[in-house]
Amino acid sequence: MNSHLLPLAAVGEVGKSFFHHRTSETLPCQADTSKLFCFDWAKDNIGRYETPTLQHVELVAISVLVGFAIAFALALLAHRRRWLQPPLLAATGVLYTVPSLAFFFLLLPITGLGRDTVVIALAAYTLQIIYRNTMTGLANVSASVRDAARGMGLTDRQILWRVELPLATPEIVAGLRIATVSTVAIATLAVFAGGGGLGQQIYTGGQLTFKTNIIIAGGIAILMAISFDLILLGIQRYATRWRRVAER
Amino acid sequence: MPTPEVTEEVSSTGASAVRYENATKRYGDSAEAAVERLNLEVPAGEVCVLVGPSGCGKTTAMRLVNRTVELSEGDVLIGGESVRKRDPARLRREIGYVIQQVGLFPHRTVAENIGAVPQLLGWKKDRIRARTVELLELIGLDPELGERYPAQLSGGQQQRVGVARALAADPLVMLMDEPFGAIDPISRERLQNEFLRLQAEIRKTVLFVTHDIDEAIKMGDRIAVMRKGGHVAQYATPAELLMAPADEFVEDFVGADRALKRLALMRVSDIDLWEAPLAHVGQATAEVRAKLRDAEVPYPLLVDAERRPLGWLSERDLSAETVPARPDNPLGPLLDRDDVMRDALADLLQGEAQYAAVVDHQGRIAGVLSVEIISEFLASPKAKAEERGAVERPRE
Repeated sequence: MNSHLLPLAAVGEVGKSFFHHRTSETLPCQADTSKLFCFDWAKDNIGRYETPTLQHVELVAISVLVGFAIAFALALLAHRRRWLQPPLLAATGVLYTVPSLAFFFLLLPITGLGRDTVVIALAAYTLQIIYRNTMTGLANVSASVRDAARGMGLTDRQILWRVELPLATPEIVAGLRIATVSTVAIATLAVFAGGGGLGQQIYTGGQLTFKTNIIIAGGIAILMAISFDLILLGIQRYATRWRRVAER
Repeated sequence: MPTPEVTEEVSSTGASAVRYENATKRYGDSAEAAVERLNLEVPAGEVCVLVGPSGCGKTTAMRLVNRTVELSEGDVLIGGESVRKRDPARLRREIGYVIQQVGLFPHRTVAENIGAVPQLLGWKKDRIRARTVELLELIGLDPELGERYPAQLSGGQQQRVGVARALAADPLVMLMDEPFGAIDPISRERLQNEFLRLQAEIRKTVLFVTHDIDEAIKMGDRIAVMRKGGHVAQYATPAELLMAPADEFVEDFVGADRALKRLALMRVSDIDLWEAPLAHVGQATAEVRAKLRDAEVPYPLLVDAERRPLGWLSERDLSAETVPARPDNPLGPLLDRDDVMRDALADLLQGEAQYAAVVDHQGRIAGVLSVEIISEFLASPKAKAEERGAVERPRE
């Protein structure tokens, strides 16, 4: 099969199975297009969301981790070599502005259909936010703290890992939170690159009259975003206890 | 009396002399050096204040010692050893470093901040803990504050912790860059006094940078007045600097009120006091009047059996047959022989009194001080000679 036809084929697969399932036993509220949510259908079909949800979590987690690893490494590099800062900011900025669907289609001839393509695209989107927040966090470390650390005999590496990064943690985690939440949203498009996820349940081949399905999938995505955010918030608060104590 | 050099409580292994040898710092290709051919010797255990207008290179000169600024030419020797030969990070762990903005690590507790250098040096945990407690006590903070974060402390407490952190690994030399510059005047004076008391115990070699000549006079055993390019205009003890400024620049910098500043270096006991005509309760007033005839002070001072002053007798008091128990005039300002002269003058002026009784440690009368004595002293050429013998700094 020709690779550039794959996304549509994938959507077709999703849609076919959905319609198949739907036509097998039509519930009363399902036929009534004025109803926003069909509880009977939801009760019967909740099980079909399990696999897409897990896939979605996996996509987000891997993409953000990969994005973080790259952005963090770039930030540390740019922290040492200041001349790298403008080009890196520009490069990550360009990646951030590419429309998601276009990104998938651009990657398909290279990486083919599947999770890798999705992870590459999603990770690319997180770079800008994580990179910029890390740089901001490092830049916000007060000059006097850095001066004192140096004067006390910490090496550059020790200053980075023991002083600058711990102090930049709030900004870094804030960047991770934004990146994660937006990745949960963008990952719903993964289905167009054959990456699975909750998008499978949302893009159902133009059947927009039946909304229950979309509401459930969207709701799961929102809950997932909130859960990720709360977990990261917890990490942030744990890593910056000193800040809250000081505010009392 | 224990010797002032060593105390039993504070473990301190000593101090090293610091010597600048043609030390030069040039930034880039700039024609003018920030510090040019600086030669300066700071004896071990002394406080050397680098003072001068902003941009004179004093901070740069100080930073050459721990290599936070690298030498362009020349050398700096600590205890005879060139800093050039040392690994900068290792060198810095042996040198205490205190800066104006303190620079405590906000994400570390007070105890962790103080223990930072010992930790770098690989001390055992128990030893670091013991040292931290020792230092917190030394700077007058409750050891329980060790669990707090820096932001929970006042500015003055933070600066004390900054000093403790610099002292933690018992450095041979301390660098202090305007350490009390960002603190309100009242706390600053207290911190200065505390540091002087501390220094009297630990006797570190201290390079102290300030732009405030009053602070320099107060803190320094020696003062290097610097002008642009890190040139030393004069290097002298505070008293010498005030008595004999080397040139116009130093004279200007020291200020027109240097006569008053000299008073800050003296104590009441350093000056010849007047003798008070003393009177006791029940003494015949005729006897007191006879005393008054030759006295420098025109009023008799009533004292008790222990010669402790009670008050001044007025003309009306003396009109009676014997000296009354209650004098007409209150005692007014009462000074101690160890009071700093400047404070004594302030007391006199504030009490709107012409004369003030001076007492010794037991509270017995030692003499009388007047504004007249002070002004005569400052005007007389003899003051020079007197002051030579009286350069010991006031300590609280």
